[in-house]
Amino acid sequence: MSQIETLSLIHEIESLISDQLQVVSYKWLSRNYQISSDEAKRLLHEFVEKHEGGLEVVYALSGWLKSTHRSYHIRLVTGPKLAEAQHDFDGNCSVQVYSVQPSIPKDPAVLWNAEFIQAEELSKQPSSVDNCLRDNRFCGISNTFVRRNVDGQPAVSATPQIKSVVGLGSTKSNVVQPPPKNIAHNSIAKVDLKSQNVVKDFKSESNGTGNAVVHENINKPTAEKEKSLLLPTGKKKVQADKNGSATGGSLASFWGRPSAKPKPCSVPAENSNTISNPSEATENAQTCANEAEADSDDDNQGVPLRRSSNRKRRVVFDLSDEDEDVVNLASPEVPSKQLSQDSRQNDKNLLEKEPLNFDLPVEIKPLVKEERVEKKVFQPPREDLSVITKCTTAGKSSTEKLHSSAPEICVKKDSVKMAAPDSTKRRKVMKTRIDERGREVTDVFWEGEEIEAKKADMVTAKKTDTVAKKADNNGSTNAVNSAPATKKPPATGKGGSKKALNSKDPKQGNLLSFFKKV
Amino acid sequence: MGRIERLQSSYQSLDESFEIGKEMYRGQQYSQIYFARLHLMRTLLYSLVPLWKPNSPVCTVLGLEEGKECVIVGTLFKHMKLKPCILDEYSKERSVVPLVKPHNFVNQDDYLDLEDESGRVKLGGNIIVPSVYVTGIVVAIYGKETGAGDFLVHEVLEAGLPPQIEFPIKSREDRYVVLVSGISVGSSRSNPLQFQLLVDHITGHLGDEKEQSIASQIVRVVIAGNSVEMPRGLLNGQNLASKDLSRMAEPVKELDILLNQIAAALPLDIMPGPCDPANFALPQQALHRCLFPGSSVYNTFRSCTNPHCFELDGIRFLGTSGQNVDDLDKYSEAKDKLDFMERTLRWRHLAPTAPNTLGCYPYTDRDPFFIESCPHVYFVGNQDKYDTRVIKGSEGQSVRLVCVPKFSETGVAVMLNLRDLECHALSFGTQFSP
Repeated sequence: MSQIETLSLIHEIESLISDQLQVVSYKWLSRNYQISSDEAKRLLHEFVEKHEGGLEVVYALSGWLKSTHRSYHIRLVTGPKLAEAQHDFDGNCSVQVYSVQPSIPKDPAVLWNAEFIQAEELSKQPSSVDNCLRDNRFCGISNTFVRRNVDGQPAVSATPQIKSVVGLGSTKSNVVQPPPKNIAHNSIAKVDLKSQNVVKDFKSESNGTGNAVVHENINKPTAEKEKSLLLPTGKKKVQADKNGSATGGSLASFWGRPSAKPKPCSVPAENSNTISNPSEATENAQTCANEAEADSDDDNQGVPLRRSSNRKRRVVFDLSDEDEDVVNLASPEVPSKQLSQDSRQNDKNLLEKEPLNFDLPVEIKPLVKEERVEKKVFQPPREDLSVITKCTTAGKSSTEKLHSSAPEICVKKDSVKMAAPDSTKRRKVMKTRIDERGREVTDVFWEGEEIEAKKADMVTAKKTDTVAKKADNNGSTNAVNSAPATKKPPATGKGGSKKALNSKDPKQGNLLSFFKKV
Repeated sequence: MGRIERLQSSYQSLDESFEIGKEMYRGQQYSQIYFARLHLMRTLLYSLVPLWKPNSPVCTVLGLEEGKECVIVGTLFKHMKLKPCILDEYSKERSVVPLVKPHNFVNQDDYLDLEDESGRVKLGGNIIVPSVYVTGIVVAIYGKETGAGDFLVHEVLEAGLPPQIEFPIKSREDRYVVLVSGISVGSSRSNPLQFQLLVDHITGHLGDEKEQSIASQIVRVVIAGNSVEMPRGLLNGQNLASKDLSRMAEPVKELDILLNQIAAALPLDIMPGPCDPANFALPQQALHRCLFPGSSVYNTFRSCTNPHCFELDGIRFLGTSGQNVDDLDKYSEAKDKLDFMERTLRWRHLAPTAPNTLGCYPYTDRDPFFIESCPHVYFVGNQDKYDTRVIKGSEGQSVRLVCVPKFSETGVAVMLNLRDLECHALSFGTQFSP
């Protein structure tokens, strides 16, 4: 810097301190006047030398400490303490001016405030602007590897190859162009909603980083994330993502909402975030499932929603309706307590979602598989209440009821039981035996139908097991194991015919069969 | 401008087994993960038993004969008197003693059972000390059944350290990884100035040329959990007003700006921790990118699962945000946290107490916490103080154990040199006149 520039800056610093009583740290100086950090520190040093009184100086000492554990220490000290602090260091420590200010604040964090405000301002600038915060231009170390993607693709890429042959190729697989993950059994809606709320407001608060320009530039990463936070849309979104911005744009116009965030971004991370919740309290599940139903109902009816965030959510629902995910979401979570209210709602939801199933045959494939497995739980229909009643998990008993009231939803792909219409009278016989692996196998067969073998994944003789637990496993592994066990190929095509709508199932089981012993 | 060039390292993430995206929840409970664990480890132990006790038969629990010395393999279950039980909350008479003791539930009356597919048997004798073990470990026991129906333990065989890939002897230059945890942005305890100093040091703003040249050798930063502390007072079950919502988001925004500064300079891995906005059960899934709009657009920013496993320049790292070791601390005893870490490696299982007392996803066909390959560096975050040790295995494995302290409380981060796995502390302080 030329002499004149230096002098003028020094004057400015002086006025800042004395008139505005501001803390001038080297970082703040460097960002404000677009000079490098080293330059700023040098400047401050000169300033300190020229001005003796009326200001306090904070120095940054750094060096190796005299201690047993080898430790590199960096400490901020005020002027008077400088000499004393230097004794703690083993050998030389470097001394640099960190900041100058009119007086030392009680709380050290105050030193940081001014530069943080500056950082905040910089971060709020539109995402396309490359400012000194974003490219780290004023530090002493440069890194050519760093790339910042303005157009919204998650930016993790293959790491640089540094003379080592360590599976660089495989790093590509870890690239966060996320592998489409099946988000079948998805998140509790409430968690989604909650997090949505937070993020929505987050977004609205920060005027920068993409929000401001979201309408123009449809490929904003933030926009994506907003949408992606919403209900799982799984594969469809991923496909859209991969197809690039064009698709995103068309999707946005399709929905015709000005604030619609285009380019749905696949979001396995977020979905998996909430996935573990289902395994926890059923309390949550109840309320959340309720919310899911309520909201989805709202969505489907177009009723103005309570929360602003749901507006966006509605968009996503439309998308997600095309996936089977939501169907799966509803079914297992619905608890037995609220069956009466929920089942009807579920019906409606499932009904409404069902037709949309056909729109994306491509996407449905793996999802349908899950649904098939899912639906296994509904199985043995009407008569087979006794099996299902053994399951004490809330989900199972409810699904059975669900099934009975909405049998049309069961697009049974390999429906051993469903295929046969309800008109035939069948008698159900069940036999339990222990197979060679020590598992309890329950064979269920109908007169005139083939045997369906259900295996419990349970270790039979475990002393800790209670009957209920066994039942749990029976029920839970029904879905797991019956898929391979079934013998009939899918009776209906995946996009094809649904089962005949039966409003009331004549073969609906007798309540007393709940107490029947197997 | 005469800037120093930063070193690079090749990185490979191995977190795939910790991602839950492909799992299906069908309402299952935890028996399946225990079964998977037993199966997995039993196969392993069966291969080790002939070398250990070549002349003894291996029995199932139900097949035990009194007085006959044999080997049994199964999962340990520890009966603990003081372990909190949910049923206590519903008992008709509550004792004066509070329901849950916050810290350690170990009691001298604890005893162990060994359970396999056929049954379980109580373990007796002095050789096996219940305070060292926890529920969920799979071991092989050599001993005999006593008249009382117990199994008298003569010897215990643990799985031992898993096989380790060879340590790459590459370059002579120093490359550092910074491990930090417990930044707790937004908490009243944390001093943002301290973390800013860390950021400035790592990125090369602070310090003279010598210091900057050391900083340029830092190739990666790994943040091991608890990066943010959400204001808990707002979360009282009611709907949040919009101003509350913005207050709730403040810490994350602040963290994003700080991470932005790091990500603009060098590669960064961030793991979720117990206090972060991530799921509760292990394995915690990666923090969502939408939380970090400013930082996630960098190719250097990587949000990872907890536990986190990766390879850097051929050196394998494995780390958690602390939940596994903290849970062990509640249900067993050891000299220090490094001992717990060593035990988990020797048991070949990251989190044996999951799902018993540690939240865990109900896997149906696998147990992702089983350690297949021995790491070179094993770190655990959010500990009380910095500590480190090297342990050796019977087949020449060598592991550097690192306890990463909570930065908000200690101001200490850890610098690990990839050349020789030596560690030193990187500490920050502010000393102002009162």
